[in-house]
Amino acid sequence: MSMLRVGRWITAIGLVLLAGVYLRALSFTPVEQSQGLAQKIFYLHVPAAIWAETAMILVGLASIFYLFTKDPRLDRFAASSAEVGTVFCAIVLTTGPIWGKPIWGTWWTWDARLTLTLFLFLLYLGYLLLRSAVPDPAMRARYAAVLGICGMCEVPFIHLSVYMFPTLHPMPIVLQPGRPKLPGSMLTTWLLSLGVFTVLYVGFVVQRYALSYLREQLEAAGEVGHA
Amino acid sequence: MPESVPQNATYMIAAYILVGVILTGYALSLYLRARRCLRP
Repeated sequence: MSMLRVGRWITAIGLVLLAGVYLRALSFTPVEQSQGLAQKIFYLHVPAAIWAETAMILVGLASIFYLFTKDPRLDRFAASSAEVGTVFCAIVLTTGPIWGKPIWGTWWTWDARLTLTLFLFLLYLGYLLLRSAVPDPAMRARYAAVLGICGMCEVPFIHLSVYMFPTLHPMPIVLQPGRPKLPGSMLTTWLLSLGVFTVLYVGFVVQRYALSYLREQLEAAGEVGHA
Repeated sequence: MPESVPQNATYMIAAYILVGVILTGYALSLYLRARRCLRP
């Protein structure tokens, strides 16, 4: 089976499982008393945030190894992970304000966590724009690798920003030292959702990687412009 | 007297629809881009 087809299957499975997460989150997970139904946005917002940040870390790591080895597979993976990370970051930046409005009373506030997440999104966009602006493949990969490493360096600041600066954003309740402060059924739903987002990340990256490879082949044959 | 649960289901529904649209839309965009590349 080709890589493209494998990616499509993983994505399809991920989307079906996402429907299962919707069902469990909306029908079989208790409503949080102080926040009401809006709290259920947590089951999508946090896994998307984790993968938006992890995707950038993977872009950075692949970029470091690319600069040493010049292996085009690493550059292809970094480009794929960056595009998928952009999608997850867009989810974070749209579900966050929708959750924040009923709970904080405002769609947006320029505090450290929110501003740094917006900056991550802009870095992702910059990375993708840079890739599309440089025609020479070797130069494109090298410039993108440097930007990818810069993006990776930002991620720890996003995670630690709630400890370093006064913020409206809540402290981590799952990814924290010690036991998660979450009832069992809510934690199960959240873990399922994280698993489904992981499947979707893998499915998207495999498909995007196969697409890059396909485009490179066509580009080498002189049939299309660069990706 | 027990505290009432806030009525904010609209926000939750909006977020769930939005996430579904973004993820399905991206999956569809990958499918269409690959199909365009594979077209002879």
